[in-house]
Amino acid sequence: MIDEHPLQRTSAQLSPQSRGDAEQPLVIIVDDDASVREALSELVLSAGLQPASFASTRELLDAEVLDRPGCLILDVRMPGTSGLNLQESLAQNGNSMPIIFLTGHGDIPMTVQAMKAGAVDFLTKPVRDQTLLDAVVSAIEIDACQRAKAEVVRRTVERLATLTPREREVLHEVARGRLSKQIAFDLGIREVTVKLHRSNVMRKMKATSIVELIRAWETLPLPMRGDSGA
Amino acid sequence: MTSVWLHRPRLMYLGLFSAAYVLGCGFAQSLAIVPGTGISIWPPAGLFIATLVLASGPSWPWWVGVGCLSELAGNALWFHSPLPAAVLIYAGNALEAMAGAWLVHRFCGRPVRLETLREVLVFVVMGAGAAPVVSATVGSATLAWFGIQSQSFTAAWPLWWIGDATGVLIVAPLALVVFQNWRGAAALSAKRWGEASVLGLIFLGVAALSLSGYLPFAYMIMPPLLWASVRFEFKGAAITLALLALITAVFTISGASQFAGDPESQKEKQVMLHLFLAISAFSALIVAAISRQHQQALVTLRQNVDALRDREWEFSQLVGMVPSHLWRLNPDGEPIFFNRRMVEFLGMDVPDTDKPGMSRLEALSEAVHPEEAEKFRGTLRRSLATGEPFRMRYRLRRFDGAYRWMSSAANPLRDEGQRIVQWYGLCHDIDDQVRAEEALRERERGLQELVDAMPVNILSFSPSGKMTYASKRYLEQVGSPLSHIEDFNALAKDLAHPDDFPTMFERASNGFANGEAFVNRFRRRDKQGVYRWIEARAQPLRDSSGAIVQWYIASIDIEDEVRAQEALRAAHESLARQSQAASLAELSATIAHEVNQPLAAIVANSHACHRWLSADPPNLDRAKITAERIIRDANSAAEVIGRVRALFRHSPQARSPEDVNRLISEVCRLMADEITAKVIRLETNLNPGLPLVALDRVQVQQVMVNLLRNGIEAMDGLLDGVRTLWISSCRDGTDAIRVEVTDSGGGFADAERVFEPFFTTKQQGMGMGLAICRSIVESHGGRLWAVNNDDRGGTVAFTLPLAVTETS
Repeated sequence: MIDEHPLQRTSAQLSPQSRGDAEQPLVIIVDDDASVREALSELVLSAGLQPASFASTRELLDAEVLDRPGCLILDVRMPGTSGLNLQESLAQNGNSMPIIFLTGHGDIPMTVQAMKAGAVDFLTKPVRDQTLLDAVVSAIEIDACQRAKAEVVRRTVERLATLTPREREVLHEVARGRLSKQIAFDLGIREVTVKLHRSNVMRKMKATSIVELIRAWETLPLPMRGDSGA
Repeated sequence: MTSVWLHRPRLMYLGLFSAAYVLGCGFAQSLAIVPGTGISIWPPAGLFIATLVLASGPSWPWWVGVGCLSELAGNALWFHSPLPAAVLIYAGNALEAMAGAWLVHRFCGRPVRLETLREVLVFVVMGAGAAPVVSATVGSATLAWFGIQSQSFTAAWPLWWIGDATGVLIVAPLALVVFQNWRGAAALSAKRWGEASVLGLIFLGVAALSLSGYLPFAYMIMPPLLWASVRFEFKGAAITLALLALITAVFTISGASQFAGDPESQKEKQVMLHLFLAISAFSALIVAAISRQHQQALVTLRQNVDALRDREWEFSQLVGMVPSHLWRLNPDGEPIFFNRRMVEFLGMDVPDTDKPGMSRLEALSEAVHPEEAEKFRGTLRRSLATGEPFRMRYRLRRFDGAYRWMSSAANPLRDEGQRIVQWYGLCHDIDDQVRAEEALRERERGLQELVDAMPVNILSFSPSGKMTYASKRYLEQVGSPLSHIEDFNALAKDLAHPDDFPTMFERASNGFANGEAFVNRFRRRDKQGVYRWIEARAQPLRDSSGAIVQWYIASIDIEDEVRAQEALRAAHESLARQSQAASLAELSATIAHEVNQPLAAIVANSHACHRWLSADPPNLDRAKITAERIIRDANSAAEVIGRVRALFRHSPQARSPEDVNRLISEVCRLMADEITAKVIRLETNLNPGLPLVALDRVQVQQVMVNLLRNGIEAMDGLLDGVRTLWISSCRDGTDAIRVEVTDSGGGFADAERVFEPFFTTKQQGMGMGLAICRSIVESHGGRLWAVNNDDRGGTVAFTLPLAVTETS
């Protein structure tokens, strides 16, 4: 269950730089021990962040909060699906929300597994407030960064969608560093036409220079880059 | 009187006797040719003696009486003597007969057959010589006394004596012949009859010729007379004598003989006649007796020869049939006889051993197996040289070339001068015996090898405790027992470890005393002086009557086994310690987790509280909330510590009335993920009307979790079928409730051992689970048990009493 009240109440009062519920990073806490859950929420809240706590993995998945910006604080040992299992399944689903692990008695193999799978930190209970909050802040930054990158890609993809097939072919060849003359010869069209297509592409892709165009192209995922011009 | 009456002879015999007596009297009367004497040959004397000789003693009075009557009759007919004289004369005659018969019996014994020279001589001397003295004396005296025919005693006596003697000599043999051949005519062959006839004719002829002339011619009759005596023995002699007497009498009476003459010479003639007849009779009887004796000797000899031949035949049969070889050697060792068996065996007889260029003995020794031939020759040669008995076993070649074992022995036969005359040898076929012995030895060796090969020491003792056998292995391992420790008790004391000896000895003594098999485990010292553990089993061997004949003891070295057991026990102990340590570690981890949670919460809340208070402005409301939480969590941590301490003290904790069904439901929810992950169907069958039970919630939950987890794990290896777990609750009698957890897994291999600590079938796990569960349930006053289901899987059930009996 989500502790709704502290979240709503504190977000209004204690986060001056908050940009509304949807955009504020959410610190999601999953622990089977209620007192620990409460205490961690309180700590997050006191740091001016918005906590959301769940007693089990199942409750977390039911709440559909994982697409929001923020990070996860997971207890390694929990009844049902453990924290490590959850990390694994999130990775498989393409969810890259940063994870901080908390455990009562962590051993080295467990730590190694968690860190290899991309955990931000692996902390043992009881935890010092600063350690935890530092980890949370860095996790949120990682998340924000990831989200910003994802936004750029999303925009580029949107712009790419507006190109005609011929423009896409031309873009592909340009990105490969070929001259207009070569492109014209390859495609069997005149050089003037190629230049026309190129200017259209730059306009549609909102690129002010060829360099900018190529940089945008390179943010695209590989499959997208390869499918045109083949 | 009755005895005399009983011995009365048959009347016919008496009658015949009487008639013969009277006729004899008449015959004597007719021969009394000497005028005035009336004395002549007296045949009744011979008849009387012969009769009494043959008759039994007690019947004599009859004969004497009948003789008396007969003589008186004869007297009345012919002699006409006065009755007293006749009676006296008869008394003399009777005395003569009785004396003669008695004397003959006295010197010859019964029966009198006159067949030997001795009998004949006795008869002649006693019957014909001595007995007539009596009658002659009595008769002559009577005549003289009564003056009958004016006879003087001296003149009458010789005549009387010789008359009686001649009568006895002539008539008695004839009478004996007649009496003795009364039944069954003499079986004479035709040839004998012919000879008898010829002899009779010659005799008659010679008699007619000789007796009618000059006196010395009378003796010409002797050769035919002796011929008859020789050829026809006693019968011939008797009959010819009777004939001679008759002929002589006839010739004398008729006056034709040389014994008839003028009255002066009559007396002398009479004597001559009597003498002639007496000499003839004497000669004939003697010759007959000699002939008879000769004949009998011949018969005896023939019989002896026959008997000897029969015996020899039997002996040769025996020698032939004896199932052994008999052989004889001459003093030089040359074989001179083989019995039939030996000949059959060798396929050669003594003559077959005559081979060119070698002696018989060498030829014989060729039949001995080459391996023993040399020894055979040597031994035999030594025996021959020294005269020592020969004894040897060797193989002898049979006619078909097969060799058979023989046991041979030969002894020398010595004469009076101790010179060796012959060697007698006996030789048995012992081949079957030798082979049986070999087979037996072979078997014994095999058995011995078996005994030696077995990794067991075998000893045997007599019922009195003396060692009678020790196997090779025993001797190798323990060393050969000294003579003074062959006794079981001494042996045990010497070899058993001093610590083990009393127990071992007591058990053995009991076993020996009661005749019961027993087993002992003790340390025994071996050859090197090292004590090793052995297990000794003793078993008595009894005979058919049940008495113990022998004790057999088989001992096995169990040193390694004992060592392994010790190692196992040590391993067990170490494992138990390790397990304890491990469970302690597990427990401490659990405690750490339990305590860590509230501690983590306290730390986090403290930080939060600090932050609220440090904020500008301080958020006192939130700080207060966090402070309250800190207090709450600290208390809960203290509670955990208290519960753990209570658990270790094994003291019942605060129990609260609980709904068991709710407890089960909670546990099921707790286990839901695990159950789903393992694809197990969980079915519950909870009785809704169960009363509340006072229990330690955490502990009972722990039990349930444990049982469910066991059930789940039991179905891990299950590949087919549906994995189902049932949980049910119900009333158990009036004062308890029962909870059962049933799985469809493999069941328990041993439903009781699962509760033993450290009993586990799992790859990981201490085997403490069910043991702890049981102790928890029992601390609640209930019971926990496991059973295998009829179809598949197992069930673990426990009861919880409604009225708690406090157990600590």
